[in-house]
Amino acid sequence: MARQSPYLITNYGKDLRLFGSSWKRAGLLLLAALFVVLPLQLDDFWLSLLATVGVYAIGAVGLNLLTGYAGQVSLGHAFFFGVGAYCAAWFGGGNAVGTRDEILFLDLPMIVWLPLAGLIGAALGALVGPVALRLSGQYLAIVSIGLLFVGDWILLGWVSATNGSQGLRIAAEPSIGPVNFSDLNIFGSAFSPEQGEFWFVWTLVALVALLAKNIVRSRPGRALQAIRDRDVAAEIIGVNPARAKIGVFALSSGIAAVAGGIYGMIVVRTITPEIFTGFGGLVTSITFIAIIIVGGISTISGAIVGSLVVVTLRQVTSRFVDLLPFLKQTPNDDGLMLVGQFNLIVFGLLIIIFLLAEPLGLIALWRRVTTYFKAWPFSY
Amino acid sequence: MSDTSTPDTTSPAASADALLVVDGIGLRFGGVQAITDVTFSVNRGELFAVIGPNGAGKTSIFNCINGVYRPQQGSIRLDGVEIVGMHSRETAEMGVARTFQNLGLFGNLDIVDNLMLGRHHLMKTGFLSGAVWWGRAKREEIANRAKVEEIIDLLELGNFRRKPVGMLPYGIQKRIELGRCLAMEPRLLLLDEPVAGMNLEETEDMARYIIEVRSNLDMTMIMVEHDMHVVMDLADRVMAVDFGVRLATGTPEEVQQDQRVIDAYLGKAS
Repeated sequence: MARQSPYLITNYGKDLRLFGSSWKRAGLLLLAALFVVLPLQLDDFWLSLLATVGVYAIGAVGLNLLTGYAGQVSLGHAFFFGVGAYCAAWFGGGNAVGTRDEILFLDLPMIVWLPLAGLIGAALGALVGPVALRLSGQYLAIVSIGLLFVGDWILLGWVSATNGSQGLRIAAEPSIGPVNFSDLNIFGSAFSPEQGEFWFVWTLVALVALLAKNIVRSRPGRALQAIRDRDVAAEIIGVNPARAKIGVFALSSGIAAVAGGIYGMIVVRTITPEIFTGFGGLVTSITFIAIIIVGGISTISGAIVGSLVVVTLRQVTSRFVDLLPFLKQTPNDDGLMLVGQFNLIVFGLLIIIFLLAEPLGLIALWRRVTTYFKAWPFSY
Repeated sequence: MSDTSTPDTTSPAASADALLVVDGIGLRFGGVQAITDVTFSVNRGELFAVIGPNGAGKTSIFNCINGVYRPQQGSIRLDGVEIVGMHSRETAEMGVARTFQNLGLFGNLDIVDNLMLGRHHLMKTGFLSGAVWWGRAKREEIANRAKVEEIIDLLELGNFRRKPVGMLPYGIQKRIELGRCLAMEPRLLLLDEPVAGMNLEETEDMARYIIEVRSNLDMTMIMVEHDMHVVMDLADRVMAVDFGVRLATGTPEEVQQDQRVIDAYLGKAS
């Protein structure tokens, strides 16, 4: 029998492995170690920050499937994010802010309402999909902004279900069967809600990223990229553009809704229309777009890296607002501008800088560095 | 119908071995008559060339065959099945593959993915089974990858396997597009100017690959080409068209001698 070099790829199964090289496997191991150790080392501020990063990462993976892989620019992502959050309140349990109490809240377990939220988001996304068969590029982007304002009108007007601008409080807990991640108790040692929620959110991040990666490396994902690169040729080789576009809208909206459900349950707990729709929703959508541009368009890992940078930046400026004298926390304080306004400027600048200097994001930068070292001492 | 068309020596019913029968198609865009009563048939295993001056309607004929345009008159039958009115997606499933005059590759994807996309209609994985990956999706991926690698070997593309095709030279891209068509396992291959814009060496390479594909895969092909050396050397039969009207059909020698073809290319002495 011929001796095999461990570096040689000898069959297609090996070539298709996600973590094919020993470097990649080492990286995976490192990430797994961080996953276990970080909650034991960091304080609650950083842990809840990382949980927020994870939630945005899940949503950004969805947007990257739609915008990065399928080339459909959408500013309506926040709407589907919001659908998930409201589903969390309606199906996972909650109560209305203020005096209104005729709203019906179900008390379903998370294992039921979270997939349900995803399915509802996917169904709504599939309804929007056909619009993309007619429109593309900036036209689709404009139409998707329309979605945010239709959503605003629905959430504010449908008071008997959404409690209008006062919003809903979410009572759902991240629990699967007897395990409640907000109140984790393993073998007698109790963990803080932030620790448990970190594990919960990042387990989901890994799961969603894996599913998304599997889609983009198999037949449906290739069809999306074909449509993005050259739709006429895609159709002539047998790709069905309607199925691909409606499919990716459903998928990306479903993922956004799952992310939104967790966002409502873990990050904000109280949801109002202004986070998800109207101008506030536009800000949320642009945050997602900034994430995928900074991290890397049409990469799964880029959505996670981008979220790490963008969301961390945002949370850290609000936390350390005292160190930046030109910022103010509330409109009545002294200072040039509000934290939120400053964040918008930063996101805008990040989008511009990255599109000019590194349009494929941090992941492309990372790949260039690793390629350099792989080829060393040669320059190519 | 127009009187300018000549009686056909290869009438559709003539050959029982015909894979494609194009019978009197006419295509009109508003007031512009792009194709007028064009009739021809292509036999199994044949390399049939369509020539004609610019704007003669050669590419329009292709677009009718693979469902991009829908001719207002006439019929096109592939193996006896009417394909006029079919969507280009459906003609792909019927086994019609084509290359484009100015390339129709997916520039950001590598060669393997471009060729795998050629096999899209032969595969089944959807969003759900793709997301799960283990099981059917992976098996299908490996099986089709093996087929794709055979084509990569045949066309000698192995050196560029994992490069985004948009970054590769033009001649290689043309070859990849041929490869993507072969990956579709077509019954009929439409080559739209396979050597356009190529230098002599690239042209010879491409001609060699076309011959190789013919002999290895026994492929039926229709080729639109301006390079007369390639047409005369490779084609079994040639059809000349001008202003959407068929001028002559026959062996390369016959068509070369045809007075109407000479007039169309060189102009009539008055």
